[in-house]
Amino acid sequence: MPSDLQDKILKDLSNGTAWLVVLAIVAGNDEPIHGYEIGRRLADEAPEGLSFKQGTLYPLLRTMEAEGLVRSTLVPSTEGPARKCFTITAEGRRVLVVWVDAWRRTGRWMNRIIGGIDGNR
Amino acid sequence: MATADPVAEYLSHLQRELIGVDAAIAHDALVDAEAHLRAAIAAGKSATAAIEAFGPAADFARAYAGAPAPDHHAATEVAGSTHPAASVAGGSGAPKGAHATLARIPLIGVWFHPRAWSSLFYFLAPCFAIALATFVWVVCLGSLVLGTLPILIGLPLAVFLLGSVRAIALAEGKVVEILLGVRMPHRVQPVQVLTPIGGVAEVGFWQRIGCWLTDVRSWLSLAWALGNFFVATVLFCMFVALGAVALVMVGVPLAQSAGLTTIQVDGDMREVQFLWERVTPDAEGRVRISALTSVLSIVLGMVVATATLWLALGTGWVYAQVVKAIQVARPQAVARRFAVIA
Repeated sequence: MPSDLQDKILKDLSNGTAWLVVLAIVAGNDEPIHGYEIGRRLADEAPEGLSFKQGTLYPLLRTMEAEGLVRSTLVPSTEGPARKCFTITAEGRRVLVVWVDAWRRTGRWMNRIIGGIDGNR
Repeated sequence: MATADPVAEYLSHLQRELIGVDAAIAHDALVDAEAHLRAAIAAGKSATAAIEAFGPAADFARAYAGAPAPDHHAATEVAGSTHPAASVAGGSGAPKGAHATLARIPLIGVWFHPRAWSSLFYFLAPCFAIALATFVWVVCLGSLVLGTLPILIGLPLAVFLLGSVRAIALAEGKVVEILLGVRMPHRVQPVQVLTPIGGVAEVGFWQRIGCWLTDVRSWLSLAWALGNFFVATVLFCMFVALGAVALVMVGVPLAQSAGLTTIQVDGDMREVQFLWERVTPDAEGRVRISALTSVLSIVLGMVVATATLWLALGTGWVYAQVVKAIQVARPQAVARRFAVIA
């Protein structure tokens, strides 16, 4: 496969899953979480080949906030300036449940279809 | 030779990429980028690695400019992906769905535009209240400052006045953002300052005071606190008058048709004029307008109400632009100077 097409597929996969994983990370934190911390966790836990430019997080979080899925607050920091941190809203939790359910069904469907294929065939 | 700060260079590049983008959005983008990069460096990453992980300035600028602000709903395309939230997430802002269709009807569509109603509400209540309270505060404290300056007590009071006016302007900006729908930027606070060798240092108390004094927005906010009182008063009177006229023109004929007595005059009065019609009161002083005048009054009242809503929408936009201009004055210069979030 040409590498640019492979890159495009991986980029589309990253973009397609970014909403869900970012919302899940925010939801998984009891405390408000800073954009940098979200980006770090994305980078640390991303599977090989998938990469998220951390700069794309902020437009994403901004849109999520516009959609009412997350809320930003300023959290004072002992290490520097106050930080803009994010928490999930009730609407965000509702959307997350819908997404997670859709993702699991999609995953099962994908596995059924690609289950018999391995890298050597 | 001075050591180059890669973050400052990146922000400078980003600033160029943001040319032509709304000033408030550009400001937020610079603040977010800088806060992230400084956080990465503080966590032990090198500046180069942090910038590499953050991504090219051009991509960030393009994605940021395409993302809707937290008070708006427009684009659903982010970083090349169409997000599924649009179909399930609610929110406020510009009219959506059936409302959006109705709001596009020429002239009368404004009745279905939530922003027109929120703007009208803003000019009828919070705008005047905030302007009045701020004016009284500035005049009272300002007088005290001027009176006590000769004995030096006025100096700390002057700083307090300036700080309070900045805080009030920030709060007003938030109300404007919610009700008038124009995105306000996160205001930069002088929390840390770049050092000549590319590091950051805490801003001390006196430096912070100095920042307030040298920030043109402090003085603009002070001038606005004084001048806005007159603007807000005129707008308040104008919208109260227009609203009352529309209400009377529509309400009186409707109430009369429901059998209510809407206009009752003293028995000595022989004639009453309602719009163009001269009406003779009955023996008990009750005034009943003709059916033709009633219909025309309702039509005219609706025209006045529609015009009032358009005026509120337009005035709201202009007013918000003025408030925004005060809040985003010199954003780039400030963003370059401080490592901040606010």
